[in-house]
Amino acid sequence: MAYLLQHLLTDSAARAPRRPAVAVGERSLTYAELDGLSNQVARALLAQGVAPGDRVGIFAPKSAAAVVALFGVLKAGACYIPLDPKSPAARLAAIMTDSGVTVVLADQATAPQAAAMAGSVPQLRTVIVAGPHWGREAAAGPDADVTSQGPVVVPWDEVLAEPAGALGPDAAVDADLAYILYTSGSTGTPKGVMISHRASLTFVEWATACTGLGEQDRVCSPAPLHFDLSVFDIFATCKVAACMAVVPEMTSIFPARLAQWLEREQISVWYSVPSVLTMLATYGNLRGFDLSRLRAIIFAGEVFPAKHLTRLMAELPGPRYLNWYGPTETNVCTWYEVPPGSAELTAPVPIGKACANTDAFAVTSEGGRVSKPGEEGELYVRGSGLMSGYWGDKEKTRRVLVGNPFQAAYDEPAYRTGDLVTLDDEGNYVFLGRRDGMVKTRGYRVEVGEVEAALYEHPAIREAVVLPVPDEMLGSRLRAVICVDGPAELTREEVVDHCRRRLPGYMVPDVVEFRETLPRTSTGKVDRTGLAEHGR
Amino acid sequence: MEAVINDFISKELVQDASLLPLGNATSLLETGVLDSLGLLRLVVFVQERFGITVDDVDLVPEHFDSVDAICAYLRSRDGGKVGQAGGNG
Repeated sequence: MAYLLQHLLTDSAARAPRRPAVAVGERSLTYAELDGLSNQVARALLAQGVAPGDRVGIFAPKSAAAVVALFGVLKAGACYIPLDPKSPAARLAAIMTDSGVTVVLADQATAPQAAAMAGSVPQLRTVIVAGPHWGREAAAGPDADVTSQGPVVVPWDEVLAEPAGALGPDAAVDADLAYILYTSGSTGTPKGVMISHRASLTFVEWATACTGLGEQDRVCSPAPLHFDLSVFDIFATCKVAACMAVVPEMTSIFPARLAQWLEREQISVWYSVPSVLTMLATYGNLRGFDLSRLRAIIFAGEVFPAKHLTRLMAELPGPRYLNWYGPTETNVCTWYEVPPGSAELTAPVPIGKACANTDAFAVTSEGGRVSKPGEEGELYVRGSGLMSGYWGDKEKTRRVLVGNPFQAAYDEPAYRTGDLVTLDDEGNYVFLGRRDGMVKTRGYRVEVGEVEAALYEHPAIREAVVLPVPDEMLGSRLRAVICVDGPAELTREEVVDHCRRRLPGYMVPDVVEFRETLPRTSTGKVDRTGLAEHGR
Repeated sequence: MEAVINDFISKELVQDASLLPLGNATSLLETGVLDSLGLLRLVVFVQERFGITVDDVDLVPEHFDSVDAICAYLRSRDGGKVGQAGGNG
């Protein structure tokens, strides 16, 4: 029985060594190659002193090198942390410091940037260059002369000199961490969601069954590694020895190009946030391409506006359409299949019913269980798919990983999602809204508190409030309402620039307003509802 | 026209301050300025500002990869009248 994620790879490599595992354009890595290369990376990591349970950064976009790297980390008994090369250095430094990362795997192109991070992360001691390097030109050329003041840089050639055979028996157990995914934190610092092998495999098991995934499938998700959608195209694909096709970012940006790529690459399963699909439906000229191999389109991350989903299904009626719902803390916990030939949808589709081996229930404000259509409550999730907690933050963990409210005989965790739901007549859960200040924009989650904390770091800002502005395409746009300190003058450009240095692009406010004072409620809190109603 | 478009992109889409001031010939794709939603916002802006509809077939890198490319595309539309009536360069 595969009880660690890397067993998925070793099993597939034994069963189907010549099947393509990762395809990037014309080139692909077979399962045998992926298995061998990741063994070499694992040995290189061990040689650099990585010990079981260590956190190792993966500083690369989704690519063959990144997949080799992450399997190498798992085989070394460590846990990987995807670090987004597009994130500002300050945020990456905060993540690396928080998680204690001292070794990072980069690809040829990101290695110089990785080494340079030592400036803000003094404990970074080693950068290992992972390959293969197809299609990713090095910023400094092949055999990149990565002059480093700080970390040791281990070139790919040195990794390739390691033996490629299987390592010894695994010491890790399924309760051990496989990866930590950092998401927006409401008090300003990102939170590390810890996922064990067992939790990840719980999702993988269900997801492969739900999609009927098989060896012939060609799976694509444009989601970056730090987004848990990637767990599907990496690990579910691996489990069945199917092929993970990597879409170049430039291609995914232009809808007609993307449609053409989907046709050429014969993608059979696609998994992404709704906004990419909306662009595809509107501008992709889908009827102009032969997408007959595309048998399933899965969307997650935020609400898919009914109007755009209807259009997509009209333009492309062949595939199954699946709505997968679940926060990073649980990966997917409920799902819903849109009935084919759906007439014009008038409301967003339900989030559906619990996945196999997952218990999803809703608790009313009185503490009872939601059981009848129309009743409302907060969605809780129970089962092996839950995160192990937030890295280094037991307090925040305790607030959301609580005792199962309906079982008191022994300690058993349940995760409070903070999402309000109701039941429909068919027993499907329907998403109603959030309890707190978390918003979704472009499928990413943003705690408005994190954006506010960044604004407060500006010396001229006395008060700041960030509000979501519903946006059909994006989910939400962010609106910042700011009070400037005394006579200080601040421009919108300065505010935006200040945010860009601290936050990833999707967290930077789109709209910036300046006011003398912020309206207050009778209890003295900022009247966010009032601001929202009278805002743009 | 170049200034209007450069201004919009610089203010609304550029995330990396080191790219400013933005060159009119700078590749928006290679520098990461343009992502799928940035493209959407750019298209909406161009359509509203210049009173045209961008067709699917025109939504390609050749027409949108730089300020210069966008202007060349717009000028080629409608026999070159786009951006002239009441437009400012």
